[in-house]
Amino acid sequence: MTTDAKARPKPPPKWPYTVAGLVLIGVVLLAGWSLEDAKWERLPQFPGEILQYAGQMLDGVLTWPGAHPEGQSDPDLTYGDWWLDSLSLMGESVALAWIGTCVGALFSFPLAFLAASNTAPWFVRVPVRTFFNAIRAVPEILLAVIVMLPLFGLNPMAGAMAIGIHSIGSLGKLTLENVEAVDPRPVEAVTAAGASWWQRVRTAVVPQMLPETVAFWLYRFEVNIRASAILGVVSAGGIGALLNRVLRGREWEWGGIMLAVIIIVTIVVDQISAGLRHRILHGTETSMAGAAA
Amino acid sequence: MSQTTAVRHPEAPQGSSARPAKPPPSPLLVIGLLGAVVVTVLAGWTIDFSLAPVVEQWPMLTMILEEVVHPEWEEITDPSSRLWVALKETAAIAVIATFVGSLIALAVALLGSKVSAPPAVYRVTKSVMSVIRSLPDMAYALVFVAVVTGPLPGILALTLFNIGIVAKLTAESIDAVDPGPLEALDAAGATGWQRARVAIVPAVLPNYASYVLYVFEINIRASVVLGAVGAGGVGQLIMLYFNRADYPRLAAVVIVIFVVVIAIDLLSQVLRRRLV
Repeated sequence: MTTDAKARPKPPPKWPYTVAGLVLIGVVLLAGWSLEDAKWERLPQFPGEILQYAGQMLDGVLTWPGAHPEGQSDPDLTYGDWWLDSLSLMGESVALAWIGTCVGALFSFPLAFLAASNTAPWFVRVPVRTFFNAIRAVPEILLAVIVMLPLFGLNPMAGAMAIGIHSIGSLGKLTLENVEAVDPRPVEAVTAAGASWWQRVRTAVVPQMLPETVAFWLYRFEVNIRASAILGVVSAGGIGALLNRVLRGREWEWGGIMLAVIIIVTIVVDQISAGLRHRILHGTETSMAGAAA
Repeated sequence: MSQTTAVRHPEAPQGSSARPAKPPPSPLLVIGLLGAVVVTVLAGWTIDFSLAPVVEQWPMLTMILEEVVHPEWEEITDPSSRLWVALKETAAIAVIATFVGSLIALAVALLGSKVSAPPAVYRVTKSVMSVIRSLPDMAYALVFVAVVTGPLPGILALTLFNIGIVAKLTAESIDAVDPGPLEALDAAGATGWQRARVAIVPAVLPNYASYVLYVFEINIRASVVLGAVGAGGVGQLIMLYFNRADYPRLAAVVIVIFVVVIAIDLLSQVLRRRLV
């Protein structure tokens, strides 16, 4: 027994974890207590209410599109009109996300080479990186409110530019990481052959990092679609503005249709984009078979 | 340029040029590029793309920016100002949502990986999670705000959103857990709970902790946004000052958010690097 106890190493002490856990719970409770007008007593009824409204939303989605909803001022209005309106506004959201992504890609691509440690000296790198970080720290919605709405007015261009500028920061960071991750050997080879900076980037760096960077652009497009829904709330274009109004007016059937359109379009675009990204990064089975034949 | 004295491979074709012809661009690439151009033109047309306002509205913007560069410092220096109250609220919302969301997410992740759950449970969990993630956090907040006002809808929307992210990432980590300890436990006759407790959770804990920090970072940013729909916090203040066109105060808010977001980013980056 005594030899056994000696042979076994002592387990590490557990009290630091216990203390950390208690402190964490303390912080959370403090946070909960500091929220004065949080209506915690409403919490138990909350799931029931949400389920009830979700049921009404589902009713709206499942109703035949030719039917006329009750209680609307326009007697000719059908559920189908709601579907079409939602689709066209969602189309606007997708379009502004696309343009925003294009703006982001266009500016972040050249800047990334000025920010990567293997293509730029430190005195160029540091300011460009700081610029990327600074942009990323400002949420799109702030950019939209302070700069883009005064500039472009309440229309989708404002949203597209807000998304575009924000995307420069995030895409720039990802792209510069791609540039830094390239295999250094081709770069050394062309440097040894006397290539200029431009030739080095053009022949040894870009071909290596382009596929992954394009895949990131597509991924960013998916993220930007979600962001564009948010920008609508400040009237910077897209489906958000109407969604805000409809849900505030508690028109659950209409809101349900809008949410369904958002979910469907988001999933469809995600699937297409994921397929394209896979194709860009890994090629297809058929092309490999074709190459082998 | 020096004279071309390259030694040819003996089997190289003796044609006019020893260099192999460049392969033509693949048709798929051409279709892809054309598709991208078409989509861009269509998208530009849909949103009436025009940069003319940049020139036309420039005076307006400079006017606003002039106000913005003279922030109302009192808003920052006075600890009882609206800004600090709102900031405290934002922090509290983020802390609670991260804590509750991450705890639930750990349980969901265990149900959502084929390593720790039976196939039927794992498939159902995965598809429910992907539906939850397909809606932006804003949509949840909009629905919840219609039910209750104050910070509660923000907390609930963020919690749901965090469950989606943390559960997905953690489930993927669980999928990649070293099967060795699991097999040992199975051989010793461990129950599902014991497997999770002894072999899975300790193995994914560092990754899990880093995901939790990551969502906390997102939550601070998101609660800025959530306020815009009336779910409490700094966002509500931003909308208030924006609607009043009180740009000096708005600028003060932006400066503080900027500093807070960068500080939290740096802190969580350092912590995450130590964890993983």
